[in-house]
Amino acid sequence: MNKNYDVIIIGGGVIGTSTGYYLSKSGMKVLLLEKDYLTAGSTGRCITGVRQQFSTPATIRTAMSAVKLFENMKDELGVDVEWTNSGYMFMAHDEAKVEAFKKNIEIQRKFGLDVSFITASEAKALVPHLDTDQLLGVAWCPSDGQASPFKVVLGYARGIRDNGGSIITRQEVTDIIVEDGHVKGVTTAAGVTYHSSRVINCAGPWAREVGLMAGIDLQVEPERHEALITDGVQYENMPMLVDYRADGGYFVQRVTGQFIGCFTPEVQVPGKDKSSTLEFMKEMSRRMCKIVPALENVAILRQWAGSYCMTPDGSPIVDETPVKGLYCSVGMSGHGFMLGPALGKFLAEYIVDGTWPFDMSEFAYGRKFGDKEAMA
Amino acid sequence: MIEQDMRDTIICRCQDISLGEIMEAIDGGITDPEELKRFLHVGMGSCQGRTCGKLVTRILANVTGKSVYEIKQTSQRPPLVSVPMKEILGDNNE
Repeated sequence: MNKNYDVIIIGGGVIGTSTGYYLSKSGMKVLLLEKDYLTAGSTGRCITGVRQQFSTPATIRTAMSAVKLFENMKDELGVDVEWTNSGYMFMAHDEAKVEAFKKNIEIQRKFGLDVSFITASEAKALVPHLDTDQLLGVAWCPSDGQASPFKVVLGYARGIRDNGGSIITRQEVTDIIVEDGHVKGVTTAAGVTYHSSRVINCAGPWAREVGLMAGIDLQVEPERHEALITDGVQYENMPMLVDYRADGGYFVQRVTGQFIGCFTPEVQVPGKDKSSTLEFMKEMSRRMCKIVPALENVAILRQWAGSYCMTPDGSPIVDETPVKGLYCSVGMSGHGFMLGPALGKFLAEYIVDGTWPFDMSEFAYGRKFGDKEAMA
Repeated sequence: MIEQDMRDTIICRCQDISLGEIMEAIDGGITDPEELKRFLHVGMGSCQGRTCGKLVTRILANVTGKSVYEIKQTSQRPPLVSVPMKEILGDNNE
């Protein structure tokens, strides 16, 4: 069996499969290795939201490119990924938020994003069930949306196979082979060695361990988050509601009529613990009912947990590392699903042509980790 | 082993997924129970797989020639049955 490939990808989430898809589309012989099953890491645990409301140029432009890709994904991949422009509302309950959102909107508009700050009553007209107590207004982008992470990965994975690439699941990479500063391949837990002069670390919460296999210490840490989904009720085209108050949360109504959501714990919880807590279910219910009181009649169907892969500044690291041929697309900091299609395309183009579509220094491996993403 | 006239048989009642759709997915290379669950949503509806879970296991065993005991069961998640938020909140909902 020939075990030589043009590129080996470690990780079967949206980042690994989208990057693999675009590389295989350009004619490269791709091997994707996943230690568990496809979508087992962060992608299959996310809450499906896709937004463009960010505060830094490269992230805004990447997210806007991603939305274009989501819009055409059904044609591109032949899979209905359930893309819907249901929008995102960032809720402002104090003047500081109002100012911050308005400042971000100015930046976002420079790049042509259709985003505006609307009043609480305008928001209420769009979302009749919204509780507007103390709400000063919302940052509203109607072209933000949602899609199924499972269907997106399924589409990309099929594409890789259709383009002649290979995907092997339940096959953990245990070592990256480096000789004279150049990557040469990987070895798996099954003791098999696969050869390639290009390896891409798309390992999500496991990115740091994978980087260390090649002596690359990535500044990324897994952070635990819990989430839940409800039974389906009538679909009312409700956007993603984002409440960043200390006891806020964010949730969206899926096209299936189900509500899916989570909140960021006040104190960061490091690690990859996937167990669920009753405490989260109670607290999330309380927070959701505070924002949309009518939800008290909706039943919780399922809860789970997953991990973000955080960088110190909340922006991803998408670049070649100091080991020649070893690339990373990691540290998505909770935005992997929404940025993934575009980052996969961009990194594939960089590997093939050596160029980025625009200034991507915000995502550079060697950057100084300074200011935090303001709309993290 | 699976007759053509059985392909319209509903396996997952919550999500309306037929035997034919499951067979098509398996033929397309999706033989991992966890991927079958996520890519088809079989077992992700109201009953959380309590009805279709055993059927899917049996189908996978049939197709792969393994015993049902060798087919990995998908993760079970709380709550076991759907619970309205007002029941969860009880009297604590201010």
